[in-house]
Amino acid sequence: MGDENTILDENGVRHVLRRTGFGAPPKELAKVLRKAGKTPTRGSVADVLLNFKARAFRPRGDYLYRAHNKWVAKMQKPKSALQSKLAVFWHGYFATQSSVVGELRFLSTQIGLLHEYARGNFKDFVKAINRDPAMMLMLDTPRNKKHALNENYARELQEIFTLGVKDLHGQPNYTQSDVVNIARCFTGWTYDWKRGTPEFDDWQHDYEADFPDRGPKLLFQSTGGFGSAGRNPAEQGEGEDEIDHVTDILFEHTDSQGHNTVARQLTQRLMSFFCHDAFEAPGAAEIAVIDEVIATSGFVGAWDLTRLLRALFTHDCFFETSSAAPYGTTTRKAVKSPIDFFLTTLRLTGVKLRTADARVFGGSYDSAYGHLSQMGQVLMEPPSVFGWDGGTSWLSSSALMARFRFARDLTASREGGGFRPEKLVDFGLSDPEEILDAVLDVLGIPDQVTEAERQIYIGYLTDDGASPVLDLHEDDTKVRGLTCLIIQSPAFQHH
Amino acid sequence: MKLSRRRFLQSAAAGAMLGPTVFNHALVARSLAAIGNRYLVVVCLDGGNDGVNTVTPITDGSAGLRQAYDAQRFDGNGGLNLPVGSLLPIGADPNSGAELGFHPALKALHNLYDQKGSVAVVQGVGYPDYDLSHEVSMGIWESGNPSGAGLSGGWIGRHLEQGYGPSDIPAVGVEWSLPGDLRQSVTSVLTIKRLQWFGFPYDWEEWQDVAAKRTAFEGLYAQAAGTGLASFDFAGTTGAATLVASEAYPALHDDYEADRSEMSARYGAIDRDLADDFREVAKMIHGVERGVPNVGARYFRLSQGGYDTHAQQGGQDVEGRHGYLLKELADSLEAFYEDLEDMGAASRVLTVVFSEFSRRILQNGNGSDHGSQGPMLLIGGAVKGGIYGNHPNIDPAALNPDGNTPYSQDPADSFRSVDLRDVYGSTLKQWAGMAHGDILSHVLALDSGPSGEYWTTENFDLDLFVP
Repeated sequence: MGDENTILDENGVRHVLRRTGFGAPPKELAKVLRKAGKTPTRGSVADVLLNFKARAFRPRGDYLYRAHNKWVAKMQKPKSALQSKLAVFWHGYFATQSSVVGELRFLSTQIGLLHEYARGNFKDFVKAINRDPAMMLMLDTPRNKKHALNENYARELQEIFTLGVKDLHGQPNYTQSDVVNIARCFTGWTYDWKRGTPEFDDWQHDYEADFPDRGPKLLFQSTGGFGSAGRNPAEQGEGEDEIDHVTDILFEHTDSQGHNTVARQLTQRLMSFFCHDAFEAPGAAEIAVIDEVIATSGFVGAWDLTRLLRALFTHDCFFETSSAAPYGTTTRKAVKSPIDFFLTTLRLTGVKLRTADARVFGGSYDSAYGHLSQMGQVLMEPPSVFGWDGGTSWLSSSALMARFRFARDLTASREGGGFRPEKLVDFGLSDPEEILDAVLDVLGIPDQVTEAERQIYIGYLTDDGASPVLDLHEDDTKVRGLTCLIIQSPAFQHH
Repeated sequence: MKLSRRRFLQSAAAGAMLGPTVFNHALVARSLAAIGNRYLVVVCLDGGNDGVNTVTPITDGSAGLRQAYDAQRFDGNGGLNLPVGSLLPIGADPNSGAELGFHPALKALHNLYDQKGSVAVVQGVGYPDYDLSHEVSMGIWESGNPSGAGLSGGWIGRHLEQGYGPSDIPAVGVEWSLPGDLRQSVTSVLTIKRLQWFGFPYDWEEWQDVAAKRTAFEGLYAQAAGTGLASFDFAGTTGAATLVASEAYPALHDDYEADRSEMSARYGAIDRDLADDFREVAKMIHGVERGVPNVGARYFRLSQGGYDTHAQQGGQDVEGRHGYLLKELADSLEAFYEDLEDMGAASRVLTVVFSEFSRRILQNGNGSDHGSQGPMLLIGGAVKGGIYGNHPNIDPAALNPDGNTPYSQDPADSFRSVDLRDVYGSTLKQWAGMAHGDILSHVLALDSGPSGEYWTTENFDLDLFVP
């Protein structure tokens, strides 16, 4: 059992960088080691990483692919890889589709919010999202009016952003009547098209006195731990503040076992993202870990995401995926998302995205947008309000094929900014074992390869022993091919 | 506990640990596939298709259906009301006798219904304790497992597990990611969005090195398949099957374009994604029919997104959001049907269309919110055309407090619902040749609970097909 004082060796820090960012390029590793003290601990490394300036980044562009590629290019060399990664997490959490929003400038403002609140106060974050014009367009808030309720936002606010349909014990967290009454509280909210700012239209708001047949806006009379009286967000005054009262009540909601529902739901989502898939469907053991992280963090009441993330990054569960090969039935590994796979590969191989299209100069000469859309993850266009499914859903054959193609394109690129293996590997090496070690080092997975896999790579390098000594200066085909194979390998799809 | 889609996918992946994972490249069909020379195509309308504006009452019948419809679907600007004159008549509701009609955008489907008699409309299909969350409800439709009984994977996936081995590729999703209905842990299910892009990406400038790369790649993925770690096994099996398929499937595109360029142009003229997706299925069927080696897929899955019409749904206008989608669907189905007819395969292909739920009867501003049961469509040359099941009771007084039509299995209820498992079971039994008992023990689980409210008695004998 480790904790925040557990000392991390270099491989340990590498693991933290891999999971909180996109790969562990040597320069970034050195920087963190420099800042984390003489003997880096889980706590000191987490503090270094979490100490980023939470500035907004707003990817702008006339077309989706432009804005998308700007965002990806930014993440290739970010000020803080953790902030970038958190923004991607929040983008999947508050998933908003540019095709639904229509106005890219609104979505770009929302992406700014995701960066700003990335490690901020979660309750304030939700309140800001409630008023975000892109989210309003995504989930029909402006169409939710006193005479014609639209339940879309009220439902997803509970289902995805705060409570979840059911708690970790399979008990319902809310009822249809809660959906309707929260929708009533959100009536009247809309946005100013020109300025892109939220607005409250009093005339469209549902006041209890005007709709006696609808009754008071009572919430959570059967769930939430509020007793049969439930809570009424209108009690503290009706009108534009009601949505904040709703949010306050949601954050007080407790589940069937008396635990804070928002904290558990969010922590579960974070752990699925930063640890592994077992947290998608937590059993008793995982639930205990979720509760432990929440308790250590003091998140409930403070809602400070920095504290929650620190507790997560210093807990044993965060290090479960760090084990070395060979793996077995009890090993924990997670599948790299396309963004993770794409950026990690570029950053470790030193290949730069070129031109405004963020193109990879080789093979199909496709842009970041082209590659990522075929791998199944276009930023600013998640598949639905639920974001991306993750896990093995990233490994369908069409998505795998896109990863294979990207590996080919990248390792075949010889033009400006392209793949230069001679800059990464000592071309004086002639022993296949040493060449393999050097390439595995570059790709950051020296400990993630089994002996059987090594034999396959050696067989490839030597053409099954036919050429046991290589001259890379003469011909770099094999070192390019080896890099390609490792990027395509099952091990590299995981972290 | 019901499974959310995420959780259900997760449990399917975990199930992978149990299945055999040794991959062998000899693509010999195991011949236990009782689907024989037939094919099954499943189409998902993603987002919740508005059933009452897909199959709409024209007259009242004994249940006052049109009156109830007019009271809740409004005329005029933003109204969803489909005028009686615009509807395409399909006959009478078996229960109320009310005349029913298709949305005017479904003209092409109406042609198949009317002229070919090859469309079955199954009304009021749902499941007990219906859920209004997209995620949960889609998980239920894809898994075919509303009660959350201990079944992992999707309903087609569990069926495939009984008939195919790791070296078969019985199913292809024309999708970017693997759809839930096809999830399983025994055989190889692929996703191929476009056949022509599915060739394995080697660096052909280094052509002399390609064979060595192929050997290494094959070895790496075979290794992963035996790890015992679920996602490695999954990657291993999928990667190995992908390699094999990448050497057989891309040519199907060229063959089809060479043999059937006129039909290809017909899909192209529709100029919509779904039509292009159907064309990919046609290319694969064309390949199987011609006996192309290593090509044996008989189950396909497609989807069409955009049905979450909370707002700006549009009424009869085919340029409205809903009409636009339905037209795309109908035109694609018609082109596909004609293509199959021309190939001599129309009576051996069944297309099943579903959505994760329908939409509320009472419209909100200019759209509609999540609903309960809705219609399914079955299309094929061997389908016995007509209307099955009862139109749900949309009388405002009969609706649940949430405004939706109740699910019922009460034999005395004239508005009794059809359970999705009855449609799945009938399809597997009568079309895919699976034994009744095997369906109940491997694919579909009966509910426990009061028999009027839950699915406690199966009916896999819906008379949907021409013998």
